[in-house]
Amino acid sequence: MHLKYESFVREPLVDNNKDYHQVSEDIVSPIERKPGRMWYVGFIFSVILLGFGIFSVTWSVYWGLGTWGVNRTIGWGWDITNFVWWIGIGHAGTLISAILLLFRQGWRTGVNRAAEAMTIFAVMCAGQFPIWHMGRVWDGFWVLPLPNSRGPLWPNFDSPLLWDVFAISTYFTVSLLFWYSGLVPDFALIRDRAKTKFRKMAYGIASFGWTGTAKNWQRMEALALVLAGLSTPLVLSVHTIVSFDFATSVIPGWHTTIFPPYFVAGAVFSGFAMVNTLLVITRKILHLEEYITIGHLEAMNKIIVLTGSIVGVAYLTELFIAWYSQSWGEMDAFKWRIMGPYWWSYWAMMTCNVVSPQLFWVKKLRRNIPFTFVMSIVVNIGMWFERFVIIVTSTYRDWIPGSWAYYSPEWPEVGFYLGTFGLFFTCYFLFAKYCPVVAVAEIKFVLKTSGENYKKKMERIDAMSTEDFVETVHTHHEPHHEEAAHH
Amino acid sequence: MNDRFEIPARLRNTSLILIVVGIAALIGGIVCLLMSHDDVARARFWLVLLHDSVFFTLITTVSIFIMAATSLAHGAWIVAYRRVTEAIGANVWLFGTIATVVMLLIVYTFRDAHGHNTIYEWVTPGNDKIILGKKAFLNPTMFTIFTIVALGLWAWFGRKFRALSLAQEKAPQNDPKIYWKVFRLAGIFLFVYALSQMSTGPWLWIMSIQPHWYSTLFSWYTFASAFVSGMSLILLWVVYLKNQGNLQLVTTEHMHDLGKFMFAFSIFWTYLWFAQYMLIWYANIPDETIYFKLRQQGPYSVIFYANFIINFVMPIIILMARPSKRNYFTITFMAMIIIFGHWLDYYQMIMPGPLGANWHINWYEIGIFMGFVGVLIFAVSRTLAKSSLVPNNQLLLKETIVHLS
Repeated sequence: MHLKYESFVREPLVDNNKDYHQVSEDIVSPIERKPGRMWYVGFIFSVILLGFGIFSVTWSVYWGLGTWGVNRTIGWGWDITNFVWWIGIGHAGTLISAILLLFRQGWRTGVNRAAEAMTIFAVMCAGQFPIWHMGRVWDGFWVLPLPNSRGPLWPNFDSPLLWDVFAISTYFTVSLLFWYSGLVPDFALIRDRAKTKFRKMAYGIASFGWTGTAKNWQRMEALALVLAGLSTPLVLSVHTIVSFDFATSVIPGWHTTIFPPYFVAGAVFSGFAMVNTLLVITRKILHLEEYITIGHLEAMNKIIVLTGSIVGVAYLTELFIAWYSQSWGEMDAFKWRIMGPYWWSYWAMMTCNVVSPQLFWVKKLRRNIPFTFVMSIVVNIGMWFERFVIIVTSTYRDWIPGSWAYYSPEWPEVGFYLGTFGLFFTCYFLFAKYCPVVAVAEIKFVLKTSGENYKKKMERIDAMSTEDFVETVHTHHEPHHEEAAHH
Repeated sequence: MNDRFEIPARLRNTSLILIVVGIAALIGGIVCLLMSHDDVARARFWLVLLHDSVFFTLITTVSIFIMAATSLAHGAWIVAYRRVTEAIGANVWLFGTIATVVMLLIVYTFRDAHGHNTIYEWVTPGNDKIILGKKAFLNPTMFTIFTIVALGLWAWFGRKFRALSLAQEKAPQNDPKIYWKVFRLAGIFLFVYALSQMSTGPWLWIMSIQPHWYSTLFSWYTFASAFVSGMSLILLWVVYLKNQGNLQLVTTEHMHDLGKFMFAFSIFWTYLWFAQYMLIWYANIPDETIYFKLRQQGPYSVIFYANFIINFVMPIIILMARPSKRNYFTITFMAMIIIFGHWLDYYQMIMPGPLGANWHINWYEIGIFMGFVGVLIFAVSRTLAKSSLVPNNQLLLKETIVHLS
């Protein structure tokens, strides 16, 4: 009933001459082949990093947190910086899969699968930091209200730290469900193509007996909408609650009302940067340039310049209002941030997050792949510094000058951070080997509207007058092509 | 396609009657309030004008913002009724001018019996050390220059977007030159908007009414409030034009989109409301809590709770379900409710500081509000009647015809 048409001003989402079979072939065949040498090199390197991380954490637990550089003035240091950083990165996946789905953004189909996977891995990494920061980690179950009969002391339901436990576990669960439910039809596709018995069995189990009937699809689409509805508030809630960890306090530099939306914007900002980092490499190695096109990267870069600018307005607002408040605590906190011994971290944050993304206003740079890659890393460095600035430089010169301190990390903290990179990339390499990194079913869904070969056939529609077009739509009569009329 | 709107006599008469009511209220206000010896009454005279002129400027500018945002995002959903947003945006200059005149008159002429400016206290700071410390920002020169530049730019962009859209009709078929020009201008507009509506503007115009108080979120909060009312305003026009038999290309799918925006951004407003309120409540720092203490406890508590119920509870319950967003009656009703709710929201931002317990929503407040509505209807309908309601030759026009919500 519905005419498949898209304006010529939009560039195709799938390049070259593709049909349904070719799409399956292009995306699934890397899974059916033995991985290349680069995969093994990367995977082994990641596992080594992960191993070093486990060693560092073991060391920290065995000898205690005295092995870390944190002190009584700066209690959170690298550890919580990394926690917030990873959580932020996790936001891109949910934004792409939930909010862009609700906004009917067709280009999300090229990037959503990898972004969702990345979200899950990033949240897994993030979760490590508060856990091991507890020190006496064997008492970690105290954060759970199970049972809540140990008296009024813990868990403290008034504490945003506890809200975090709920927010993040909910977020992780919903993201995982979202990601996996999208994978089901693609797993079934791999099962149906499988030449070996083991593969047929493994993907058969993973695809939950998907048969591709209309009923299957209808239920899956309904589920996707429900999950999108659930995860849209989650995109906002998780980083909002992370921001509450700081903003509910009375510490200048932490207590500021703009934190919730600004944390969310910053999270999306860093998340999209990480997606770009991964996809620039993935599309090259797996030869998916026709599905993750330069147009896709450009769209991501636009979101980076948007969210970077939102974050920039927030930084300047904070700075301005600190002065406007005429409260000496606020003014001093920002003075020590900008001109104190940690001045370099503030300026690194400003340069990486506010100044450099503005280059993406230039179309040529948005569509330049090496530049995109470099910028994606610059943004992630900047966003790491943002958290470092908030956590360390708001606290290191506190109310009592006698307790002013300086902080540098010790090796187990650095090792722990590197270890989470190991975890993240180990998971990502396994994902890229065993799962389709682009959602096959969703690409097929947009193919006949946005595929380059199909768009060529729409040139006649573009040339039609508006009246003729309205006439065509109302009579359901296709001028040139039968196939496009119904779906 | 040609889809002409001829202003029905009823609409024109209604708008003229509303304008007459507004003028009568203004004259009544001058006689009864401005010329009285009661300082509170005189403050009330100006505050009501300030409230309505700023509110109408901000909600009409939302039309420019949504055009800029959708131009950058290549949004086709709005093209079916883009002429409505263009017509509203092209009249921002009118409200901007009124607001500028009102605000400058307040800054330069309003003084109480003791020579204090009780609306913008920073104009006559006396020995208040904290206000004196803010002098580099809160001073008449800064206020004047910023207001004129910001509102001037908004007005210019509003007219420019419409002019370019009309020029596209005369361009060769499918010529993308103007499309990309609008794209670039939209980026520049967002930059301007970020530095005005999203930051400096509300600080100067509204937050400085209680010059001791500060909140970093304030400008984003006022934006959310204006945005959801601005989208509701667009919806009311679209529904009206459809009822007149115009805008044939607009279907339930398009209305559903507007309904979604009203629903989603009512929740977004609540999110910012909660973020600001909760953080101030939790930290409990007297410098900050003074703002909510004045509003939540005492004479404004009715408005404080009404604000939350009208702008959050009603939209989330009524607009949640899909069928209600596709029902013309429900969305029209909710659009009016939301505009009224956020008008109240701006009322409770502006009035408590200077008026204290002496607030009114009476003949003067209602009369002036009606006058502004009259001006809006009169001006926007005139602009709408000047061109076809279908933005012919717009590159995304055909997409909007087959648009699914």
